[in-house]
Amino acid sequence: MSGDAAPLALPLSRVSTGACEATTLYRELRKPLLRYLVCLGLSSDEAQDVVQDAFLILHRHLSSGGSQENIRGWLFRVAHNQARNRQNRYDRNFGSPMDTEIDAVSHEATPERAVLEKEKFQQLGKAIRLLTASERECLLLRAAGLRYREIGEVLGIATSTVSDTVDRAIKKLAEKCHV
Amino acid sequence: MCDFSGKLIAWLDHELPAEETAAVERHLEACSVCRCRVDAYKRASSEFDAYCEEAIAPNARRGMPRWVPVVSAAGAVGVLMLLFLILPRTPGKSPALHAPEAAAAASPAVVGKGLPAPVRSVHRVHRQHAVAPVQNQNENSALAQNQNAYSLPDEPVIQIAIPAEEMFPPGAVPEGMHFVADVTIAADGSAERLRLRPRLAGFERRTTQP
Repeated sequence: MSGDAAPLALPLSRVSTGACEATTLYRELRKPLLRYLVCLGLSSDEAQDVVQDAFLILHRHLSSGGSQENIRGWLFRVAHNQARNRQNRYDRNFGSPMDTEIDAVSHEATPERAVLEKEKFQQLGKAIRLLTASERECLLLRAAGLRYREIGEVLGIATSTVSDTVDRAIKKLAEKCHV
Repeated sequence: MCDFSGKLIAWLDHELPAEETAAVERHLEACSVCRCRVDAYKRASSEFDAYCEEAIAPNARRGMPRWVPVVSAAGAVGVLMLLFLILPRTPGKSPALHAPEAAAAASPAVVGKGLPAPVRSVHRVHRQHAVAPVQNQNENSALAQNQNAYSLPDEPVIQIAIPAEEMFPPGAVPEGMHFVADVTIAADGSAERLRLRPRLAGFERRTTQP
């Protein structure tokens, strides 16, 4: 191989691979990321911005030949940090997500069933608000499909701590909601 | 509380090593209390996931009452139909718009060649039409001036057909009705003006049938 051809060919192939991979990941992870960020307390628009920024950073990361190990966890960590920076910048409380009541009653439900469903969701909402910020974050990342190890990487805590936190949080919810 | 209660959620999440997984499964076969706990934890998990799912959904649902889009669409259709019926008969009463003919005539090549392809082109590009209105101006015809004062050329440079169901909720627009967008291109190739025209061909055809 000639010394001149290599530097040009390598970055081009990396860009192409990175773009393709980022596109696939975008399709797969956009919605879980949005859900995580909205549940964390960001507005819908802010969440969209953060996701876009995170994928832009991912694209640069992959294009420059960055590590492809555990990209999913990496992406959530970037989005999590971006959200935290954003909330610090506006001096908002990071630990008060899910403050709004969610009215998740199906439109097809009968009135009695609708009342029951609403009560159940309100009860769950109260129980979620009683969790600590760390417990909520662990559960949100778990709901997004991350393994304990990945959750630990995103939040910067040990895997065993994640396991304990998830255990405690689920037990609290089960107890409060009598499910 | 038995020794396995601290491992049930990790077991549900497939986070235990193989040996511990096997031990928990053996225990669950024998312990009905832990089986109930596992069920409760499963339900709590799925309720939490459903709650998170709803955190995105209500933004759209809460934004406006369900009747607003239907009433808005019906109103828009009514106004469009009124315009369609009134405009051709009373051209002088309409607000005067600046005529796009000069710009189109100044760059016939742009109109003919340099345009991006429309999404749905119903009529192909009429190149000769772009210069025709200039002749009308030269003749100083009062009729032509009146017509040019309120409307775009009869044959637009590009027409884009937009199915009504893509703009309005299902059922809001009478069946057979669609809209034609007349696009006028400026000298620099950009879209200068867009006008929506309702088409009632299907509507009229149906009324003539017995």
